This record gives sequence, structure tokens and C-alpha cells, in this order.
Amino acid sequence: MNFELSEEQQIIQDSVQRFVYDNYQLEARQALTATKQGFSSEHWTTMAELGWLGLTLPEQDGGFGGNQIDTMLVMEQFGKGLVVEPFFASIVLGARAVSLGGSAELKAEVLPGVIDGSRQLACAYAEEQARFDLHDVTTRAQAEDDSYVLNGVKGMVQNGATATQLVVSARTSGGQADTAGISLFLVDADTPGVTIKGFPTVDGLQAAEVSLDNVTVPASRLLGAAGEGFDLLQQVAIDGILALSAEAVGAMEVLYKDTVEYTSERIQFDHPLADFQVVQHRMVDMFMEYEQCKSLLYRATLEVVQNGVEALRTVHALKHFVGKVGIMIGENAVQLHGGMGVTEELRIGHYFKRLLVLDAQFGNSDYHLQQFAA
Amino acid sequence: MDIDLSAEDLQFKQEVESFLADNAHQAGQDYNEWRLNWFKLAREKGGWDVPKWPVEFGGPGWSPTQHYIWEQATASAQTPWDLPFGLSMLAPVLMNYGNKEQQDRFLPDIRDRKVNWCQGYSEPGAGSDLANLKTKAELSEDGTYYTVNGTKIWTTLAHIADWIFCLTRTSDTGKKQEGITFLLFPMKQKGVEVKPIITLGGAHSVNMVHFTDVKVPVENRVGEQDKGWTYAKGLLQHERTGLAGISRSIVALNKLTEQANTVVRGNGTLMDDPAYKAKVAELEIDLMAAEFTELRSLAAAAGGADPGPESSILKLKGTEIQQRIQKLTVEAGGLYSSAWGSVATGPGFARGGMAGYLASRAYTIYGGASEVQKDVIAKNVLGIKKSGD
Repeated sequence: MNFELSEEQQIIQDSVQRFVYDNYQLEARQALTATKQGFSSEHWTTMAELGWLGLTLPEQDGGFGGNQIDTMLVMEQFGKGLVVEPFFASIVLGARAVSLGGSAELKAEVLPGVIDGSRQLACAYAEEQARFDLHDVTTRAQAEDDSYVLNGVKGMVQNGATATQLVVSARTSGGQADTAGISLFLVDADTPGVTIKGFPTVDGLQAAEVSLDNVTVPASRLLGAAGEGFDLLQQVAIDGILALSAEAVGAMEVLYKDTVEYTSERIQFDHPLADFQVVQHRMVDMFMEYEQCKSLLYRATLEVVQNGVEALRTVHALKHFVGKVGIMIGENAVQLHGGMGVTEELRIGHYFKRLLVLDAQFGNSDYHLQQFAA
Repeated sequence: MDIDLSAEDLQFKQEVESFLADNAHQAGQDYNEWRLNWFKLAREKGGWDVPKWPVEFGGPGWSPTQHYIWEQATASAQTPWDLPFGLSMLAPVLMNYGNKEQQDRFLPDIRDRKVNWCQGYSEPGAGSDLANLKTKAELSEDGTYYTVNGTKIWTTLAHIADWIFCLTRTSDTGKKQEGITFLLFPMKQKGVEVKPIITLGGAHSVNMVHFTDVKVPVENRVGEQDKGWTYAKGLLQHERTGLAGISRSIVALNKLTEQANTVVRGNGTLMDDPAYKAKVAELEIDLMAAEFTELRSLAAAAGGADPGPESSILKLKGTEIQQRIQKLTVEAGGLYSSAWGSVATGPGFARGGMAGYLASRAYTIYGGASEVQKDVIAKNVLGIKKSGD
């Protein structure tokens, strides 16, 4: 048992940290969010060149064979800069689903482009009526000869509008909320019948609504066996939750440290605000919950590396805690920055908004508490 | 980064578990005899009787992982009662600041559990503001002894203690942290008077202690005169780490869920009550996080350094978790938790539940109240300098 990074992990962490420091000061970040695409193609190419896009893919698929610890290191640093490139959508979710479930031919066709950055993936798993249940799926996939015909609407697809291909969950059999009967498909974004409506989310990222109207997808594009997609989706979701939580921990660190710095400089009543005990104790609460969150992140990540889906209960614990603590730290950071906290000028508010969105991704705090206790 | 136990760790775990199983107390066995023998056997294992002592003083020199394995195993096994005052609080001070004679004189008896110590820190006018203490120690003209006069309060187990380590004031000039002297002296002597204080749960564990012209030879002074605060501070860090009780809370929480599962509610049990279940779940999650916070701090302290300021997080979180477990126990007992004394009514666990809860209210007060811990973290970890400092 140890918490030290290996030499390779240390190099990854340092290089991502440097990238974020060089490219993600608030002004530069905000300029990117204002573009139509919502991120920088140049940064994306840099990430590909530095090998980050293939970091966690297996070596036989052309990757470097890393695991969830490597993703954690990258995402934690990304969280410190609120990075907007679609690493999460394309690599953590999309590429992982293809790598776990795609046929050898499909992987050979898709993954090299994902790793070199020329292709981008997104994961269309959510539906409005499902709230946070991955297994509540009404999008239908009807088998016809060697193909499936898909109909339905997928919501809040992160980076859906810029993706070249979408991982889509659809029901090939069973009732609306059955775990059996769900199938995953890799759908080309330009297939006739696919309509993608992109929009920004409050945190400066991009999402899309994806409508599927008699979309024909060859059976060779199934990820995993027909009707058995849920287990795969759950594995992808676990990786997704770990990655989001690492991003959240990075963002929380910025929030509590910025708050300490600001209150130490801001003079009111002839004192720095940080002189006042009521302010100090709030910041100590922020710091302690941040440390506790980091502990749970390590715990869940290391357990998943060791035991895979068996560690699901700890993953529920983590996502519950990240949601609760992220919002608590964000609200306190805004409060302690006073008027400046509610402006777009300081970075505080932007980190807060990201943590608010993050809580709802892959199930919010209450949802995961219930799952944990079930 | 990994949580795998190495082959050696697994072997160690097995060794610990068989040691604990082989040496559990047997029905009919004389308790005290068993207790002292247990420590003797633990010592023969290579310092298992003093897990946290450094190797040069006879400790086992375990890795953080081994400490963790030990903590976990002992939390759920039957081990003899033990007191932290000599073993975990005074001993590190003597090792770091005591002279060779003092180490040779006091450490063996502490290790053999022959002498019980108590801690003379708090005073009626010095609680969380410990440095405000007034108990006076005057050095005799010939420089051979101190005369101690004053009052200590909340002195845990003073009524069974043989000796006390005591903070006294030897100088009133300068800052209040200066002028404090660390003395050791016997409790069973003329001029030392112990008065019980009964706490909310009805228990007698703390006391008020008066000193009237108690003579203490200078060779019983640890370190230099007027420098006792430095030694005392290091000790507080040790005390705080020990108070977190994370492994014990894991065992206690399991017991709590078992108990709640026996409480009938409608067609199910209390654990089917969504509100109660959510509280237990949140508690468990906080505990899971705290367990890893402790592991992280153990790993950081692996070099053998004093526990750092992160021990304050553990004290705060750990004691709060202990209180929540007690509170949920009282809630589980419902109406029956209010029956007082030894009357047999309602669920068995409800007896003693309320007393345990009331006693637990002190957890966030002793060893430095939670509010003081937060001050310490603000200053030492967040680096906030008050403009007056």
C-alpha cells in the first residue's frame, strides 16, 4: 500500500500541470468557451502529440496501457484549469466504450483516429425520463437483416455537436427500466436521420440533444453483445465518475486556496478578512472537506483499479461526497469573496458553476446516497 | 500508488490475527494476570506491546501499512484495557526531551503497565486556552526542589493514577506560553487531593486535583525550566491523533447497523426507514473518507516525524463521527433510550446508549475543543497570519 506516484505518473502529472498553467489562465479559457466549437483544436492536437489521448487505452489498441490512476492525474490537473477540450467525452467515455465492447475490426477502424485526435467520440446515454438511471432507456433499436434501426432522443450529450461518432444506448428488448435488453451502438454522426442540436452548458462546456429518426446502423457497430450493453455502460460510467471526481477535486483545491488568498488581502474594518474567526473556520471547513474528498477519490480509484465493478459501492460514496462537498465549497468561496464572488471577473464563479454541473453528471449527490444505502 | 497488501503484509496480517485469537481472554481466567501476560507476549513478538514507540526504545518499527493492519485487527478483537497517558503521551516527550536518567527511570514501568499516569494540563482558568495556566511551581533557594501549589481540572483517572505529568508556571514575565515548566511527581502523597467530578452520563472518570505545597525534586523536571510549552505542544499532537479512533468507529458503526436491523418498524426494520438509513449512509461515507485520510497521514508521517497539523483534521472528523454513532444509537433505542440505570426494559443496546451519547459530548471538547482545532488548522495549514501576530 502506498500513495506515491511512480516516476511515469509524476511525469504525466507535471506535464499536464504545465500545460494547464501555460494555457488556462481565466481569460484564455473564457475566450475558448466563446468560440462556436467551444474548445481549441490546437490544444487538442497538443494533447494527442503528448500522448494523453492514448494514455489509458490498451497497448494492443495503440494506447499506452494506463489505468484509472492515470486518468485521475490528468483530470485533477484539468480541474484546476477548467479545461474545455473533450478529453472526458472522447477518451474517458467514448474510447473506453469502444475499447471494451468493439470488435477487433471496429477498434482498428476507430481508435487510431481517436488517439491521434482526428476523431472525436461522445457518449449519448441520458434520456429525459430516466433522470439518473442508466438502465431507463426508451430509445429503440429494431433489428433488420444485418442492421438495426434506431429511434429516440438522447439528451445532454457532452461535446455531442463536435463528435464524429456517438456511443448510443438503445433498447433492443425488455421493458423501459430493465437492465437486460440494452444495447450500445457506435453511430456515425453524419448518418441520415441523426439530428444533433448543440448548445452551451452553464459551465462553459458544450452539450447536445441528439434525435434519432429511423437511423440505420450496421450490426458490426454493436459494442458488446446485443441486449447486454448495460454492464459495459456501467463500467464506462464508473470510469466517468472517477474522472469527474478527480476534476472536481482539482477545482475544489483552486476554490479553497483562492479564498484563503483573497481573504488574506482584502481589508475591511481595518483588518484582513482572514483575521476574523468566523471566516477562518469556514475556510477550514472547506479545506477539511476537500481533503476528505481527495481521500475518497484515492480510495475509490484504487479500489476500482484493484477490484473493478466490485468497487461500485465506494464509487457511489465518492460521487455522493463530490456533489455535496463541491457545492458546499463553491457556495462558501462565493460567499467569502463577497460582491466579487458573484461577478464573472474572478475565476471563483466559473469553478463554482463547473462543480454545480458536475454534481448532476452521472447522478447527483442524493441519487448516489440512495444507491449507496440500497 | 496502490492498495495491494504485499505478501509480507498479508503474512503480517495473519500473524497479528492469530496472535489476537490465540491470546483472547478465556472464561474464568484472572483478568489482571491475563492482561499483564498479554503485554509480555506482545513484547516477545518484537515490540508489539508498544507499537508506536521508535525502534531504539523497543518499538517494532512497523511500516504505515503494518500500523494500519494492527489498528484494524485490534479494533475488533479483544485486547486488554490500556491507558494512553504514559504510553502514548508522556513517553514520546521523555524520548524527545527527557534525559537518559529519566528515560531509564520511567519508560520501563510505563512499558510494563506498572505505573498509571495522569495528565495535569487543564485548569479552572485554562481550558482550550491552555497556556493561561496558573498552577505555581517555585524553585527552592538551594535549587533542589520545586514547591507546587494550584488546581488542575478534568484530570482523567487522577483517582487511580500513581503519577502525574504536570504543566506548572515558573515565570509570569513575557508571553504566557513562556514560563511553563514540565514536572513529574507521584499522586499518592501529602498535599495532593483528588475530588471526583461526575459527568452527564453519570460516570466518574474526571477529577479536580488540588496541590498544596507539593515538593518536587528538580531531577523530576523534563527539559529546561520555563520551556515546558514546547514539550507540551508536541504531546498535544500525539494526543489528538490518538483521539480520532477511526478503526474503533468502523467496528462501532457495524454494530450500530446490526442493532438498527433488530428494531422493528412497521413491516420492516429501522434500517428501512429512509431518513434513518440516509443518516447512517452519510456517516459511513464520512468514515470511509476519514479512514483514507488517516492512511494518507500515516504514510506522510512514515519517516517517524511528529504527526503534523493534519492530525487536527482527524481529531475533528474522528470525534464528530464517534458522536454521530452514539447519537444514532440513542435514536435507534427510541423511547427506551431514556430508561436510566440497570433496569431491563426494551432492546438490550438501549441500556447504556444514552450514557454513551452523553459521555460523547466531551469528545469535541477535550484534547482542545473543535473550535481551537480549527484555529490551529487556519494558522498552521492554511497559513493565515493574524495581523496582530
